[in-house]
Amino acid sequence: MITTGFVSADSRVLSVALAGNPNAGKSTIFNALTGARQHVGNWPGKTVEKKTGELFLDGRRLNITDLPGTYSLSAYTLEEIVARDFLLEERPDVVVAVVDATNLERNLYLVVQLLELGLPTLLVLNMMDVAGEQGLDIDTVELSLSLGVPIVPTVASREQGIDDVIAGACRAATEPANPCLPEYLPQVEREIARLQNIINEHDAIRDVYSPRWLALRLLEGDSDVAERVGSLPGGSSLLAEAIERGAVLAAELEEDVDLTIADQRYRWIHALVGRVVRARPAHSLSRSDRIDRFVTDRRFGIPIFLLAMWIVFKFTTDLSAPWVDWLDAVLTGPVSRWAVAVLGAVGMGGTWVESLVVDGVIAGVGGVLAFIPVLAALYFALAILEDSGYMARGAFVMDRMMNRIGLHGRSFLPLMVGFGCSVPAIYATRTLTNNRDRILTGLLVPFMSCGARLPVYVLFAAIFLPRSSSLVILGLYLLGVIVAILVGLTLQRTILPATAAPGLVMELPPYRLPNWRGIRNNVWLRTRSFLQHAASLILVTSMAIWLLMAIPTGGQGSFADTPMADSAFGRLSTALTPVLRPLGFGSWQSGGALISGLVAKEVVISTMAQTYGTEATEDVGQPTTFFGDLLEIASSFIQAVIDTLKAIPGMIGINLGSAEESGEPELSAAIRSSFETTSGGHAAAAGLAFMVFVLLYTPCMATIAAERHEFGRRWAILSLVGQLIIAWVGAFIVFRLGVALGG
Amino acid sequence: MLREVLQAVEEADGPITLNELSRRLQLDAGVIEAMLEHWARKGKVNVDRDSGAACARMPVTCSCGSNPGGADCPFVARLPRSIPVVRQADIRDNTQL
Repeated sequence: MITTGFVSADSRVLSVALAGNPNAGKSTIFNALTGARQHVGNWPGKTVEKKTGELFLDGRRLNITDLPGTYSLSAYTLEEIVARDFLLEERPDVVVAVVDATNLERNLYLVVQLLELGLPTLLVLNMMDVAGEQGLDIDTVELSLSLGVPIVPTVASREQGIDDVIAGACRAATEPANPCLPEYLPQVEREIARLQNIINEHDAIRDVYSPRWLALRLLEGDSDVAERVGSLPGGSSLLAEAIERGAVLAAELEEDVDLTIADQRYRWIHALVGRVVRARPAHSLSRSDRIDRFVTDRRFGIPIFLLAMWIVFKFTTDLSAPWVDWLDAVLTGPVSRWAVAVLGAVGMGGTWVESLVVDGVIAGVGGVLAFIPVLAALYFALAILEDSGYMARGAFVMDRMMNRIGLHGRSFLPLMVGFGCSVPAIYATRTLTNNRDRILTGLLVPFMSCGARLPVYVLFAAIFLPRSSSLVILGLYLLGVIVAILVGLTLQRTILPATAAPGLVMELPPYRLPNWRGIRNNVWLRTRSFLQHAASLILVTSMAIWLLMAIPTGGQGSFADTPMADSAFGRLSTALTPVLRPLGFGSWQSGGALISGLVAKEVVISTMAQTYGTEATEDVGQPTTFFGDLLEIASSFIQAVIDTLKAIPGMIGINLGSAEESGEPELSAAIRSSFETTSGGHAAAAGLAFMVFVLLYTPCMATIAAERHEFGRRWAILSLVGQLIIAWVGAFIVFRLGVALGG
Repeated sequence: MLREVLQAVEEADGPITLNELSRRLQLDAGVIEAMLEHWARKGKVNVDRDSGAACARMPVTCSCGSNPGGADCPFVARLPRSIPVVRQADIRDNTQL
């Protein structure tokens, strides 16, 4: 029997500790008990919040401490250490153990540890209303008798039962308690008894610790408790005995003692819950589970995932196309004209400054900004998949594929982040605990098609394969995944061997309707990141490329007035053309775009807009009025709305009339003509090869820098060279296949 | 019970959901979670607490091409919490590479 010898010297002051699992309603009860009389701070030397409060009742003061939420008292987490230290050092008069009635079995583990600690305890069964709604019928009388502690049922959210908690706490602090504790295996009980005898011989130890609890903790190998006990008189001999007996016991049990003890606790609790819960919902299939049986099925999972991705790209390309055209027309038309007019008004018309603004900044940055609708649509579609809970299923399905290349399921997270941006994905490999997995995942991340490459695909698919652009884009994303798997398999069998990845548990959230505010924020944050990029890196790169295009070489022309092919940029890019010729796009413009693409993939489009776009901006000098331009912007906006509305039924095969054709943009026509020339009449094959090259070669220098930072120079160089070789070989195969098939 | 849970995860053919494991073992999902936490303390499994915020562990800002990371990283992918079994070879690999 454990007596309550811990009541404060001043019986009018009662020290109460609130303990419980996270989300059991402990803080709600604390607030209900203390009201405004709360003090919030931190535990000394810890970053864990400490909440204390007071309650006055019939001339007594209850000092209430809200302990951090913990699942056990094993001193494994900071919260557990704080809670256990308080209980051991402060020895409150009563512990109020708050238990979530809907999750009784898990919560009782902490309760058992609290009872073993030997402190007077009141059990509060909270959330009884939710338990009732779930069909749980808990026999609180039987539970109280089985545990040997008083129980108060509550609904803290409605302040039901709070008065009973106060009365119960006061009673538990003063009345003798007789908790029923788990009985362990005979061998364990034998060693507990042996250590208890030694503990009882030392007053200094017995006065601080409950002998049974201390014996258990020492047998479980709790180093924190051992350190505390070691400093007490008689502690070192107790520790020596505990270590010896623990080793004997482990040998006898043929497993770690702490495992056996924890297992026995779980079994005892499981049996107890089986007795006291009279009715409980069966472990039946929820609606989400029923959907998952189909969606995560071995046979259907991947086809469903591919279908979902195809819908995403269909949505992205079809719905954003009218807005890309609109933005492009606005930027190359009215905006360029206004810039020319303003510069003319300040006396800079026809100077190199006008060329820098129109051919450098507007053509470069504007060429990329026109694709914002595409990215926003993609982010929107992905956010819906994420928020509805489907993306989690996608991760689950893809995990099997990861396993085939010896990667853990956890590697899927960096790879998923890689679809947004390769750089944070490289850093996300830090979540992996194994070096080999980190390096392999980091080497595969660049093959995941980042968002910056999407504008290139959209532009080229619209030029060369307009009827199946969404399929082409989906195919490119899949090709990236397939190449990653092939590279992974190759590395696994050569320089990064691994054993098969063992099991994995995933906690899939239930399906739900998307939260539109969350989706809006998600789309805005990602689009804003792209805009910030356009305003910084792309702007600087566009200006640098303009500068290189403005510098004459070979003695022809003057600054900002030289044929582009003879400019410094043209000469530099031309040097690359022999390497690109076998791929069907051996022009200096393509070479230049790929070189600048090493800075960032968004720059591929801006460079092409600059190198191909001189003729496109020649009409900027045509006289129009400001209001005429505004009218043009408004009317093309309305047309974009109409075209978008027409595209919606078109996605499911209902044709309400095609979008109004406004003719092929000048940039598209220039690219098509150039590719026709360099490919010997196989422009579509060359266009596809170009997209494959952009997909597979180095995403950007920042990615290489991140790889060097995370994995070292050797792996970064391997990644850079490997990707360039793979990109060249991949583009070569695609071009040759395309030519053979008559593309 | 503890060993049964670990064994069920190890022997599952591919990944398994917590709910499926709960049905197979006829145990509450919360209890299985608690038991897996116990195995995490023993170094047998990893409880991935931050799968939804991998970028949050990284340096200051997050944008493609500049500095990665940051709690407000727009590319954070909210993926399910995963609890993989630790490979015995992992410790050896970490010392070799």
